[in-house]
Amino acid sequence: MLYKIIRNDILKSKLITLTTMIFVAAASMLVSLAAILVINLSGAIDGLMRQAETPHFMQMHSGELDRARLEAFAAGNGDVKNFQLLEFLNVDGSEIIIGENSLAGSVQDNGFCTQSGKFDYLLDLDGNIIEAKDGELYVPIAYMRDGTAKIGDRADIDGKVLRVAGFLRDSQMNASLASSKRFLISDSDYTEILESGTVEYLIEFRLNDISLLSDFENSYAAAGLSANGPTITYPLFKFINAISDGLMIAVILLISMLIVAIAFMCIRFSLLTKIEDDYRDIGVMKAIGLRIRDIKKIYLSKYTVIAASGCILGFALSLVFKGMLLENIRLYMGESDKSSLELLFGIIGVLFIFSVIIIYVNEVLKRFRKISASEAIRFGISQENRSGSKHFRLSGNRLLNPNIYLGIKDVLSRKKLYLTMLAVLVISTFIIIVPQNLYNTISSKNFIKYMGIGDCDIRIDIQQTEDISEKAAEILDSMKSDSTVSSYALMSTKTYRLYLDNGLEQRLKIETGSHSIFPVEYSEGRLPEAEREIALSAMNASELGKKVGDRISVEIDGKLRALTVCGIYSDITNGGKTAKAVFSDNSAPVMWTVICAELADKSLIGGKVSEYAQNFDFAKVSDIDEYILQTFGSTMNSVGMASIAAIAVALIITVLITLLFMKMLIAKDRYSTAVMKALGFTNSDITAQYISRSVFVMIAGIVFGTFLANTLGELLAGAVISSFGASSFKFSVNPFVAYLFCPLAMIVTVLAATIIGTSGAGKLKISENIKE
Amino acid sequence: MKNIVIGRDIVKSFGKGGEKRNVLDGVSVEINEGEFVSVMGPSGSGKSTLMFALSGMDSVDSGKIAFDGSDLSGLKENELADILRTKMGFVFQQPTLLKNLNILDNIILPSMRGNRRKAAEITEKARMLMKDVSIDELAERDITQVSGGQLQRAGICRALMNNPRIIFGDEPTGALNSKSAQEIMQLFSEINADGTAVMLVTHDAKVAAQTERIMFMSDGKIVSEMYLPENSGTDIDDRIKKVTAKMQEIGI
Repeated sequence: MLYKIIRNDILKSKLITLTTMIFVAAASMLVSLAAILVINLSGAIDGLMRQAETPHFMQMHSGELDRARLEAFAAGNGDVKNFQLLEFLNVDGSEIIIGENSLAGSVQDNGFCTQSGKFDYLLDLDGNIIEAKDGELYVPIAYMRDGTAKIGDRADIDGKVLRVAGFLRDSQMNASLASSKRFLISDSDYTEILESGTVEYLIEFRLNDISLLSDFENSYAAAGLSANGPTITYPLFKFINAISDGLMIAVILLISMLIVAIAFMCIRFSLLTKIEDDYRDIGVMKAIGLRIRDIKKIYLSKYTVIAASGCILGFALSLVFKGMLLENIRLYMGESDKSSLELLFGIIGVLFIFSVIIIYVNEVLKRFRKISASEAIRFGISQENRSGSKHFRLSGNRLLNPNIYLGIKDVLSRKKLYLTMLAVLVISTFIIIVPQNLYNTISSKNFIKYMGIGDCDIRIDIQQTEDISEKAAEILDSMKSDSTVSSYALMSTKTYRLYLDNGLEQRLKIETGSHSIFPVEYSEGRLPEAEREIALSAMNASELGKKVGDRISVEIDGKLRALTVCGIYSDITNGGKTAKAVFSDNSAPVMWTVICAELADKSLIGGKVSEYAQNFDFAKVSDIDEYILQTFGSTMNSVGMASIAAIAVALIITVLITLLFMKMLIAKDRYSTAVMKALGFTNSDITAQYISRSVFVMIAGIVFGTFLANTLGELLAGAVISSFGASSFKFSVNPFVAYLFCPLAMIVTVLAATIIGTSGAGKLKISENIKE
Repeated sequence: MKNIVIGRDIVKSFGKGGEKRNVLDGVSVEINEGEFVSVMGPSGSGKSTLMFALSGMDSVDSGKIAFDGSDLSGLKENELADILRTKMGFVFQQPTLLKNLNILDNIILPSMRGNRRKAAEITEKARMLMKDVSIDELAERDITQVSGGQLQRAGICRALMNNPRIIFGDEPTGALNSKSAQEIMQLFSEINADGTAVMLVTHDAKVAAQTERIMFMSDGKIVSEMYLPENSGTDIDDRIKKVTAKMQEIGI
């Protein structure tokens, strides 16, 4: 009996049933995919870091190295399980040519090393420790991905010829967000090219217990050991490895949430319509004493069938598509050792979707309680007041064509009904605009603000060289006399001892210079102006527990000085831990210097970059767009792809829902259509009324959706971006795209779907439909 | 007198294959300008179908229907809609008013199409008509806030808005109590007296007895016809007796 009711019901409403099922399937597919990805990503990262034996603590250092003290520190510290000192031969990109490609334009620090002896191994694509033979070059996987190198390529390293023998996975520096890349060569080849670059040291520790990491960090800093370079710890390595794919998972989850919401709306709409159709029957069932639970069962079982089939289909699809999404993880990190769990977690995800739907249907069905048996039997329709908009009268209307008036009036009188469509349009607008804005933001020049430097055209890095200050002065001199350079600023980073409130000390990298010329965005406070002011990066501020107005003690030129925190800014470079100040100090050695410049004529940027690169071969000169592209290229690409996918998905959803909604409306409104036809309204009048309804709802949807995208969307995107170390995220909106193209695409889609969906609205037999 | 509606050999069937049934089986009808006619017959005799066919609202399988000299089957959809809106008026058994408009807006609805600049004029006319049928107090009410008889009057006002040549009524008193029904019939008489043709479909002898000509239908055919001109007696009971006698005579 129940089976028969469900079957008939499904057969009668094939379109809506199918659509609901498709949305459920899509949602479960995405959730299951996200679960599978999470499991694989975490498994692959763990696997990679375990096989490679990634250091728990790594201090990069350039310049003189006190080897003996380090060894003594390692031997004397009970937490240290293993210690090693690796060399990283930093070679300028222009000296590295692989096949036809020079790495001159690379913003990465490209360096050469030999396989390490104790841990931190460089692995081949099968996860084995590579033994490089003489003449062999193993290239970081990122260069395989972007097509720079392929196996068998001839490589020329400052005259030394090698052959690309394979690619390597580097558990530290795989991600493009890691700013260095390690190439692996044999010991003797390494000795041969030693003169071609500068040696940097990787001081690496593995601890007995990783939970002691922060204590260890403090004791390393307190010991005053070599620390002229960034410090990176195990959790940060893990995080950097997870970012790109993690973002993808976040986007997938976001989209699946939206799709679930849309599936809910389909369910709500069809349920409400069905309840209205069956109003009298429900009343009768109540009157003859059926319990609400029994009545609900009839409706619930249909959705159980839909949800179950959708979930099974979605799960199956996720197994089909997972390969595509896992490709990147597999390439960069290898197979996950937890992949046996992926099915389990996929199923858990799908079951979650299933239960959410059933709970929702149950909620909607609660309105059965409100149906009065006597009223239902007597009137057959719900006696809700439909007029709502009493003051919007046809008799007072001179402005609107009656068809437009009737469309708008209908929307106003049946707000609840149109809420479904409105919500879908709001969501669609939202998922079109947010990824677009996010993409536009991270690909815009302004995004540099979140990278700890201001908005400029050219960035010149001087590091890993002697006499940084003199060399920087040389460049500045040349800029001063260069009329095409409209403004420039120099910022030098040095490390200082920071005395914490608990008595411990720590190293703090402080960038001094003219911060006011290319200011970064300050999420709180402002840039440092006085000698005794300091601005902290968001990550540093939260780690040190400092707010604007607080003080920190820094040792400058042998004297302890209290600096007031005047601002907090976003920085996603250098592990997110930097500080800015304007005090002058010539005592500490410069770790690196950055010169930013702006040109009056932007068309000259390309030429100037090569000019400066040629004149100052010790410096790394990059066009700022190029700089962002290289640091954030893969993330930008993922977001760009996601935003295109989001547009496609949103438009498809819009078409589907609009079509569906119109079809349901037409079915629901047959009576009033018949009346209008009898009164002499034409088919095109009827279609015009439907178009007027959907245009009215659409305008509201687009306006509201755009508003939400720029408020809630910005918050959401900000949450994602802040995980990189940026705070106070603001969309930089491309008005042409966000306010013209996106709404236009929506309008065209909704209109097309409405016209297609309602073209036959007037074609009905008046005589058959005019009797209520 | 000039014919306003002419139907010739109208055939219309419902169903398919073996279940196909002629609901109109070669019906020919003429209605004159200003005439007051009714069609009587038992349920399923085809009387409502005939009304929908004559008004052009339903297509027919064969036969010819002309309204005011033009062949309805040859008209485009828009032309037919124009005729429905400007030359015909309809009153149905259930008041076919739209739920989301108030009484006044329902009445002016068909007149507003293409005439929104004349809204004031149209509203004025609607108010006059409403006054004529004593519902002028109800203009701003929702349709759920008035009685069935009042709704039916509103429906008649709507039908009269464009000064139609003919008003079709499909059981217009079928859902009303006898007092309201009589008031509505009185209205139709007055409309007819002003020169508008009226064609009512009914199974109620009392309704039919108040018209000038009655066509009796059975099984898709007009089986008989009787004239009850005004001068054939004004006593309503007398006229009803004549109609029922005729019904018995032809066996419907």
